Amino acid sequence: MTETLESLFEPIRLRIAAAESDDDLRRIERETLDKGGAVAALLAGIPTLPPTERPLTGKRANELKGAIQAGLAEAKERLALRAVERERLGEGFDATLPGARPTRGGLHPLVAVTRELEDLFTSMGYVVLDGPEIESDENNFQLLNIPPDHPARDAQDTFRCDADGKFVLRTHTSPGQVRALKERVVPAIRAGTFAPPFRAIVPGKVFRQETTDASHEHTFHQMEGLVVGKDISVGHLIGAMKTLLRGVFGREIEVRLRPGYFPFVEPGFELDARCPFCKEGCSVCKRSTWIELLPCGLVHPNVLRNCGVDPEVWSGFAFGLGLSRLVMLRYGIDDVRLLLSGDLRFLEQF
Amino acid sequence: MHVSRRWLARHCAFLQNIDAAELARELSLSTCEVEGVQRFAPALSDVTIGFVAERAPHPDSDHLSLTKVDVGSGELLQIVCGAPNVAQGQKVAVATIGTTLPGDFKIKKSKIRGVESQGMICSERELGLGDEHNGIWVLPSDAQVGKRVAEALDLVDWVLEIDNKSLTHRPDLWGHRGIARELAAIYGKTLEPLASALPAQGNAKPYAVRVESEKCSRYLALPIDGVKTGRSPEWMRHLLLAVGQRPIELLVDLSNFVMLDLGQPNHLFDRARLRGEPIVVRQARAAERMQTLDGVERNLVTTDLLICAGENPVALAGVMGGEQSKVGAETRELLLEVASFDPACVRRTSSRLGLRTDASARFEKNLSPTLALEATGHLVNLLRELQPEIKLPAPLTDAGKWKDPARKISLRTDVVRRRLGVNVEQLSDAKIVEILQRLELRCEGRDGVLTVDIPSIRATKDLTIEQDLVEEVGRIFRYGNVPEARLEGSLAPPPPDAKRVLVRKLEDRLAGVGRFRQTLSYSFVADASLAKLGLSELPHSSVINPVAEGLTRIRRGVAPSLLAPLEPNRRHSKDVRLFEIGKGYSPDGANEPREVHELALVIAREPSAANAKFDDNAFAFLRGAVDDVCFALRLEAPTYTKLARVDGAPYLHPGKTLAVRIGEREIGWLAALDPRVERELGLAGELKSDVALATLSLDALVATPTREKIYRSLPRFPGVKIDVALALPTGVAAEDVRVALERAGKGLARDIELFDVYTGPNAGPGRKSLAYHVYLESDERTLTDQDSQKFLQRVEREATTLGGELRKA
Ligand SMILES: [Zn+2]
Repeated sequence: MTETLESLFEPIRLRIAAAESDDDLRRIERETLDKGGAVAALLAGIPTLPPTERPLTGKRANELKGAIQAGLAEAKERLALRAVERERLGEGFDATLPGARPTRGGLHPLVAVTRELEDLFTSMGYVVLDGPEIESDENNFQLLNIPPDHPARDAQDTFRCDADGKFVLRTHTSPGQVRALKERVVPAIRAGTFAPPFRAIVPGKVFRQETTDASHEHTFHQMEGLVVGKDISVGHLIGAMKTLLRGVFGREIEVRLRPGYFPFVEPGFELDARCPFCKEGCSVCKRSTWIELLPCGLVHPNVLRNCGVDPEVWSGFAFGLGLSRLVMLRYGIDDVRLLLSGDLRFLEQF
Repeated sequence: MHVSRRWLARHCAFLQNIDAAELARELSLSTCEVEGVQRFAPALSDVTIGFVAERAPHPDSDHLSLTKVDVGSGELLQIVCGAPNVAQGQKVAVATIGTTLPGDFKIKKSKIRGVESQGMICSERELGLGDEHNGIWVLPSDAQVGKRVAEALDLVDWVLEIDNKSLTHRPDLWGHRGIARELAAIYGKTLEPLASALPAQGNAKPYAVRVESEKCSRYLALPIDGVKTGRSPEWMRHLLLAVGQRPIELLVDLSNFVMLDLGQPNHLFDRARLRGEPIVVRQARAAERMQTLDGVERNLVTTDLLICAGENPVALAGVMGGEQSKVGAETRELLLEVASFDPACVRRTSSRLGLRTDASARFEKNLSPTLALEATGHLVNLLRELQPEIKLPAPLTDAGKWKDPARKISLRTDVVRRRLGVNVEQLSDAKIVEILQRLELRCEGRDGVLTVDIPSIRATKDLTIEQDLVEEVGRIFRYGNVPEARLEGSLAPPPPDAKRVLVRKLEDRLAGVGRFRQTLSYSFVADASLAKLGLSELPHSSVINPVAEGLTRIRRGVAPSLLAPLEPNRRHSKDVRLFEIGKGYSPDGANEPREVHELALVIAREPSAANAKFDDNAFAFLRGAVDDVCFALRLEAPTYTKLARVDGAPYLHPGKTLAVRIGEREIGWLAALDPRVERELGLAGELKSDVALATLSLDALVATPTREKIYRSLPRFPGVKIDVALALPTGVAAEDVRVALERAGKGLARDIELFDVYTGPNAGPGRKSLAYHVYLESDERTLTDQDSQKFLQRVEREATTLGGELRKA
């Protein structure tokens, strides 16, 4: 055995050094360490050697095997590091390629806005109540101080459900006031558990028998508000409405009350808000800088009395917010009919 | 209602000098809603008074004239005119080159039949003054050439458009005098007195009037002799035009004028046509008919109120006069009727006949019977000013059991302040008294209690109770002077609202993890849709006055609303996922309809490929979504059992409908859409869809007990994951296999996940292959290869029991 480890390993070392890929390394490994490789050849020759040389040759073979393995491992690490460095170059990266397209769900814009308002009001101690879409004429009109043949019924364009006029599709969320008074306020007063001021909102779907176009719809959404307590005043109403607007628009908005006639309030108002979209008039406010926002007023003593609440002891205010209109204002929707269209091209925008 | 400033100034001269926009603003803040302010006939300010210096026939036309007109510019304008009445020496209204007339009609230099025309001589109609078009408008001879027509003829006027709805409770504001009274109160001015005293009457026999119905509380009848018909004076014509009334003829115009002036409708009969018959006011008889003066034959009912001459109906009380007795060119003797009719009665008749007139609109607001007398005098005095020769041959007949509605209301000044939310410094008793007096509400009293006299015209409706007076004071005080106040009360949170919490969770989960779009739908379902869904025969709540034919019925549940938009949505989207939370109704005899509150979901997508994974389809997605919402709501996992059908939902696939239960409680259903219905809905051809839908009852969900999630300690010993594939007869249910695997796991099977179902030809005839990931885990020890082997042996036995075998991997 004359060959040194160095002379045996040197050609292999050169091959390893020249290796450019893991495949190259695997080939070298196969050709040197596997059957028929350099180490195997060395070992295969052992039986033909004189016994004295055999241990040395065996040792050489093991040393060579070790050297090859170490060399390969080192080369593998070198190649891996080189690959990392290459990866770090970020070649061919297109910074403009789009992300994977997500499938999204979403809330209906009316629901989103209603929820915001509900959160705002519940944070101020209001309860959220619900009422049926098919209402009795009594709750929708009579108890609200609108007897049969009252001219205010004209303004309501009522869908009637039967010829006797017993049931109607509610024309406003105001029957929510009646239900709140009868079902919540009166029982609490009777039970001695009434903790004024009682505060409630009633969001819901309402109906008007009217021809539809981009700004008129026979089905839309409103939110009624009702507060009942001792000495509830116009001042409280103004305060509540300003708080509402602060919540909706995130800043102070000037309001004004104008007389408005609604049989279930006295005095009744139209509340205008200073147009949040302009300073000097725009298409939203029809150049007036005021937006007619909601009807409101002090609850008419007849309504309180009709529902079993003594108007000498208690007073309250009520308001009716047009949710559909608010949503249209908020998102700049120009056709009210889209809201209930079920058209995904509309819904997917929210 | 339109209101003219010039007209208002007849009652309160001061108003003529106030900017119309300011009047509108003041009225808005104190009284009623003003929808707009417009200049009356704006073209009048753009046209010039001209003098027709010369007129000759047009050389090339028989009916055209060639004129030379002096408009004060120093030279004569040559103008071609087509009107037959143009003549030399007339004063006329000239639209010179560059003027724009109503209808966006711009005057340009032009050639008419070869002759140049430098402007136009205008007719009244061309200037927006009614529809008189029998030629050009000939101006008074003293009109000053070169001046603008509006200024020179004193025709500058502004019109306020008032929202009628905001006057519903104010019968006193349905005429100019009422609005003027209101503005006088706002500005602290006084109203001009009204000449309403009736002139002396002759002593002939008063006209006989018999009021047989209590729906007529007062009926005034006054014969007037010696009237002439003809064109109304210009001032009256212009005021009528300004408020949108077409001037017709003096008597008709006068009647309208008084109505628009005082808000009291009235009627003029041609007395000759009454043939001396007495006036009888009575209810109509069944099947009675009459012809109203619009020429329409009307069928009457017994709730209608009639004015008759003897037996013959001559007017539909409060709504419209009759054709037979209306005034005409030959009328010389009048019978003036001014009456008070029951508001509900007038309203019922006019609604029923769809005949909403200026008169009915006023009567239905409840006019004071005292106004009738005032209007009678006012009309007669106006007529006498125009025709001094008229005679009143007989005294006024005043029939009916009317009562003066004037009343007193007690007002506590403290209540005013408490309701408004102001203190005594902001609104003293003296200030309250001053405001009431400005409103012509006289009052007296002390110690904060006032007795307020409510005049008749305000007492029929609007001012009835103390709180009405709070409004009177508040609106003149101005609500803008009321300071903002905060509610004070208990800080205790309102009681929890389980359903609202549930709805929010559902919405968030479905819109989030579920990737569903929320929609909201109409409650109406079109008959055509109901027919497609096989729902036509089911009883529905409905309306009797729909917006469109076939749109009467109210949905019984939410799901049908989600099916109609599938076809249009599928045109744009391969994967439609919608949910709606809403209500449905079904009739319950004479009772309140039964209400359901539901969540409905639908998935409609392109059909999956033949080799798609077993769970790559709408039904599987939807079932997964239902599982997930139950999980999110902390409910027990739902179970599903096959249903033959769902009552009220015949549109579901007869073989693929499942009841959804939590424990014993049925909470809804999950189904594929019936393929027949799918075709009906237009989901065929390119739009062929894989559709699944579900409905869950919110009431059932809210009643289902929830379970708090309990933490389980993390596994201490590693488990093993084993994949098993079973070849089975096609009839074996996946659930049975899962149960078998669980049994084979002997309590160690922590998770069993089906990941493949193969039913293709390689499975062999009548066979299928199900493949599972099974995860075995023990709380006591590390599982070994031996455990896996034992498990597989047990699975092999279970497979055999199911008629199949364990396939070696
Ligand atoms: Zn604006």
